[in-house]
Amino acid sequence: MMLTAVALSTIDKLALVACFLLGLGLWMLLPRGSSRGKAFGLVLTTVSLGLFAVRLWPLDDMVSDIVFYIMTAVTLVSAIGAVTMQSPVYCAIWFALTLLGTAGLFFFQGAQFLGVATIVVYAGAILVTFLFVLMLCNPEGHSLYDRLSWEAGLSAGTGALMTILLTWTAASVTFADARGNTVGPTIAVREEAPATIPFQSSKDAQGRNILAAQHVEKLGIELFTKHLLAVEVAGTLLLVALVGAVAIVAHGRTSGMPVITEEARRDA
Amino acid sequence: MPDAHAVSEVHLLQNYLLIGGLLFVIGLVGFLSRRNMIVMFLSAEMMLQGVSVSLVGWGRFHNDWGGQMLVIFILTVAACEAAIALALIQMLFQRGGNLDVALWQRLREDNQPAYVDREIPEDYDPKQIFPTLTPAGIDPKIREEETIHRTHV
Repeated sequence: MMLTAVALSTIDKLALVACFLLGLGLWMLLPRGSSRGKAFGLVLTTVSLGLFAVRLWPLDDMVSDIVFYIMTAVTLVSAIGAVTMQSPVYCAIWFALTLLGTAGLFFFQGAQFLGVATIVVYAGAILVTFLFVLMLCNPEGHSLYDRLSWEAGLSAGTGALMTILLTWTAASVTFADARGNTVGPTIAVREEAPATIPFQSSKDAQGRNILAAQHVEKLGIELFTKHLLAVEVAGTLLLVALVGAVAIVAHGRTSGMPVITEEARRDA
Repeated sequence: MPDAHAVSEVHLLQNYLLIGGLLFVIGLVGFLSRRNMIVMFLSAEMMLQGVSVSLVGWGRFHNDWGGQMLVIFILTVAACEAAIALALIQMLFQRGGNLDVALWQRLREDNQPAYVDREIPEDYDPKQIFPTLTPAGIDPKIREEETIHRTHV
């Protein structure tokens, strides 16, 4: 009860409405056996994304604002498409667009290596493997299980609740600026002082300026000195996953559980 | 003016946290509600993307490489996850014949009720019927046992 009161006082009404509309729109867009209400769901999610866009802070200049908004719109719209499309192939293609949008967001933050790596590793390798398996497994059109979801209403409600929590948490953290003043979201109006994260001026971190011109060089130095052990562990993990995948496929062919028959499927 | 710069960085961070959170939530909804195993794993990857976006935002704000390092390792783990998951899905598909997770509901607890599919009408969407080529040439010889069980693909 107390928590709810605090939440209601710190989160603004606009965000609440946006979260609610997002949940409702996702519920209408998810496959539920009929195509009724899809257009209305589309309208609702668009309105909700628009409300979230109003909540975004404008950045330095107009050009970066425009680029940032385009990246955000591409990412979020294609994410909703990827989740709600009936055909899994369309899902995969929308997800590719999401990845391109996220790569753009990474570039916008100056994380050039990660942007390239997302495009190459995710969109180039992982997603194409997904599409391969999809084509191997599911050559036909819409099957029953693609046209129905598990409790669509419940999961969309969970999503709305989660959005409220995340928006509230992200908005209620305040920061100290270079002079030690508390800079924060304008919506947080609370009696007690919230946890303030100290601002680190760029002079403190001269050696590891994240926006340095020699981006990949600095990143490589950081990766192969401070995180060398983690790199080794990650390499081992990749090897283990490779062996595991081969073992699963090879072992699954010959032994283990019986093939599910029609009767067993009905009995289950 | 260090102040103006700092404020802008805070705003950038908060924008990225919002976007990352939304991506995470959309992926979560997809993972909870979709029944196709491949779409479920796509949604899980989308949740990872949401976390990556916020990590990069935090890294930029603190002027620290830690966020980007973590995202690199997330990428590694996602690649491992995709390899194992796809091998698993492939195996389950060979066993069960389709990609429905409801097929594997025998793995549930004993006291849980079984999920029963709703009956829904077939959809005949003319947009979903794709054009085909007219058959030409000699009819291929079809062996009797191949129609029941394919010995190879």
